[in-house]
Amino acid sequence: MFYREAGQFKTTYEADQAIFPILQDRMGIAVIMVLALVIPLFATDFVLASIMIPFLIFALATVGLNVLTGYAGQLSLGTGAFMGVGAYACYKLTTIFPDMNIVVMVLLSGIFSAGIGIVFGLPSLRIKGLYLAVTTLAAQFFLEWCFIRIPWLYNYNNSGAIEVPERTGFGGMVLAGPASPPITRYYVVLAIVVAITFLVKNVIRGRIGRTWMMIRDMDIAAELMGVRPLFAKLSAFAVSSYICGVAGAMLVFFWLGAAEPSSFSITVSFQILFMAILGGLGSLIGCFYGAAFIWILPVLLRTLLPSMGLDIASETVEHVSRMVIGALIIFFLIVEPHGLARLWQIGKEKLRVWPFPYA
Amino acid sequence: MSVMEAGTPAAGIRGAAATSAETAARETLLSVENITLSFGGVHAIRNVSFEIAKGEIRAIIGPNGAGKTSMLNVINGFYHPQEGLISFRGQERRRMKPYEAANQGIARTFQNVALFRGMTTLDNIMAGRTLKMHRGFFWQCLHWGPALKEEVEHRHKVEEIIDFLEIQAIRKTPVGRLPYGLQKRVELARALAMEPDLLLLDEPMAGMNLEEKEDMSRFILDVNQQLGTTIALIEHDIGVVMDLSDRVVVLDHGEKIADGMPADVQANKAVIEAYLGVEH
Repeated sequence: MFYREAGQFKTTYEADQAIFPILQDRMGIAVIMVLALVIPLFATDFVLASIMIPFLIFALATVGLNVLTGYAGQLSLGTGAFMGVGAYACYKLTTIFPDMNIVVMVLLSGIFSAGIGIVFGLPSLRIKGLYLAVTTLAAQFFLEWCFIRIPWLYNYNNSGAIEVPERTGFGGMVLAGPASPPITRYYVVLAIVVAITFLVKNVIRGRIGRTWMMIRDMDIAAELMGVRPLFAKLSAFAVSSYICGVAGAMLVFFWLGAAEPSSFSITVSFQILFMAILGGLGSLIGCFYGAAFIWILPVLLRTLLPSMGLDIASETVEHVSRMVIGALIIFFLIVEPHGLARLWQIGKEKLRVWPFPYA
Repeated sequence: MSVMEAGTPAAGIRGAAATSAETAARETLLSVENITLSFGGVHAIRNVSFEIAKGEIRAIIGPNGAGKTSMLNVINGFYHPQEGLISFRGQERRRMKPYEAANQGIARTFQNVALFRGMTTLDNIMAGRTLKMHRGFFWQCLHWGPALKEEVEHRHKVEEIIDFLEIQAIRKTPVGRLPYGLQKRVELARALAMEPDLLLLDEPMAGMNLEEKEDMSRFILDVNQQLGTTIALIEHDIGVVMDLSDRVVVLDHGEKIADGMPADVQANKAVIEAYLGVEH
């Protein structure tokens, strides 16, 4: 009823190619941004530190994986390891330059994981699909081994884990470390996630993004249109790993506060992959849906079930929430194999022509 | 660019005699000499030579398995022949990659539609402009200033092609949802977006009904006449081939068995035998 673009005429190609060409979408995104800025002021530390911050970080990691798998069509199981590279790189950087702004360090650390990503992306020039997934799996195990076996990475400390030191920035604000308030970290994370997502969206709707999708959809035809598979695939690996690296660095510095090699295990890779698949491959908004579904829903279930007044043991709550999530994942994938983003899109298409079934 | 202005019916527009004199005088755009291509013991192409003149429509016909598509693959750099020379625009060509051929101005459509299925019609055609766009990663990230200007510039070009092929209505439709005939048309649009000097069409009318074939024939003639694009065409519908093409090469079992004006080829004994079989 309200979601209708009648009367919104576009007179330039710039307007036609805008990210949100429809007025209602622009209003919706503005409302979401205002809420994202205002709600934390009233939210508890628990909501910020256990729900919002990890949700945004996982959403960003999913954006990273989606660039590679959803847009460039290269299946990867090494997301966790690439996140780890970012985290360890950030740790080393901030050890070497303790006075630099930690946000700058986080953004720089992505460059290291981009480099590693390019190296492990090289096999993609020869192999495709599941076989490529296996080689990225090798990256996962090799890098995890590095995090354990190279003491230099964790400054030779006895625990083998990295501990986030206190770091300040932007005029003495405590941004990272045990003393940093969750709300500061939340705003930093929000800013980085929104900025990177915006830049990724721009890349995707331009020439480079099209070459990625061309390689994904029909690599032979892409080559005949002048796409060089080497550049297209490796640039996708680089961008994807950069984003995952930044997400990994944020995971440690703005959320966990400490990390060990197992924080970047294959479980994380799968978790991110499920977020991407459930949210919708080849969709940026899907990354946020996927991350919300897999991260926020279990937390909500775990807090809501006991608060309903039922007398149930905490293990049972954990089990029930796992079963509910599992069932919902199956349900949604049967309803729409292309993910929540496609459901959202279909819903919008239906709304546009409502009350009629067809346009 | 309206198609109506030049909306001439496919058949009868090209007098065979007139075009033959014309093409003889034209310069050669592409020539293949003594091409031999084999996969292991299978000889796909044996010692085939012909040339394509600038501005003509050159048909390559032959029974199934004659080596027509292999020939196109050789021309655009997918296959590397064991022997023989290819020269494009007078320049002899060494072993090259498909994207280099694309860079030189050779575009192509496929026998089985090879569109980018996850993208819209508009994006598919914009994809054809890839080689003409040069803004780097930094500007692409911002999608603003020079990058936006470039994008819009190419959008104008793409819209011209959309008008030319009359596919305005499906601009924003993902190509996977389109019917087959339209997919073929989008594929032609995508190839045209490359502004090629030589356009290779691999069975552009396979699986189409009569009306769609007539449309496609008209588009091919329009492309040839209005844009001046040289076309190499593989097609099984002999009626279409005879009406559209200036000259015809006939391949059979990887060998060239005839080359000449459509009417001459049609009367050629070897061609008739290849198509209909020989009495024993």
